[in-house]
Amino acid sequence: MRRMVPGSQRRTELLRGVLDLCLLAVMDEGPAYGYEMTKRLRDRGLSIVGEGSIYPLLGRLERDGLVETYRGASNGGPPRKYYLPSSAGRLALAIGVSEWRAARDAVDSVLAPVKVEVAS
Amino acid sequence: MSDFVEQCRLEWRRLGVPDPLAEEMATELAADLREAEADGISAEEFLGGSTFDPPSFAATWAAERGIIPAPSREGSPRRRPFVLVAFTALAAVTLTVAALLLLTGEPKVSLVRSSGARPHVGSPSPGLVLPSGPSRHVLVASTSASAPVEWILLILAIVALGFAAWLWSNWGRPRSSVPAL
Repeated sequence: MRRMVPGSQRRTELLRGVLDLCLLAVMDEGPAYGYEMTKRLRDRGLSIVGEGSIYPLLGRLERDGLVETYRGASNGGPPRKYYLPSSAGRLALAIGVSEWRAARDAVDSVLAPVKVEVAS
Repeated sequence: MSDFVEQCRLEWRRLGVPDPLAEEMATELAADLREAEADGISAEEFLGGSTFDPPSFAATWAAERGIIPAPSREGSPRRRPFVLVAFTALAAVTLTVAALLLLTGEPKVSLVRSSGARPHVGSPSPGLVLPSGPSRHVLVASTSASAPVEWILLILAIVALGFAAWLWSNWGRPRSSVPAL
């Protein structure tokens, strides 16, 4: 029997499967450069430290044609590379979100009866 | 931080990433790292464990962008199953053949070392003579219970199947350090 996955590792594995959706979602709110996306995620309580850098993932989204990029000015800083979802990216986001919600609801229905008691 | 970016540049150059693309990625990374530092966020906090391995980070990024071929990883998804299936099949066939030979009792196969003398004409099924220096190895079909080849084959096949089972049981465990899509 396999060992129980430690909490932090489980969180990492869960996030790994949806991090692309999260990036597409935050850039869908408005074009963003890499660091700006991590700030938007962090503002929602989603720190991706431990999940690895976002750059390879952004590179993959770009390679797959799910994002478009352009060089634009930033607030007082050097020009930045901005990302925004392409039409294919918006479609992938919509499909991914519905898949996520279906999976989340199914897992919730299984876990809902479980009473969680944390001993102090 | 600039040291990290410089190491990435070196790796991209080594990997043959075209200069404009390498410059684009380096500029993007440097600007983000500067802004993170201004916000009081360290490179380690921003980049995670990648901070400690700039060449790997640079190679992964370039590969994910499709600029360079993806590095061949141990046990790549396509190659490994084929090798594993072939290995398992070979071990299974060997086990079956060895078991059949042992169960039926005929013929017993053994390697017999002879000192130049040819097998007697009257001996049962003299078999194949393998020249090997001054002495000869003769593959003899006999009914001798001392013939060890079947037993060696059987043991080797069992060990190989055990090893294959271990490989199969470990197959599919997560091993990627890059977030999956």
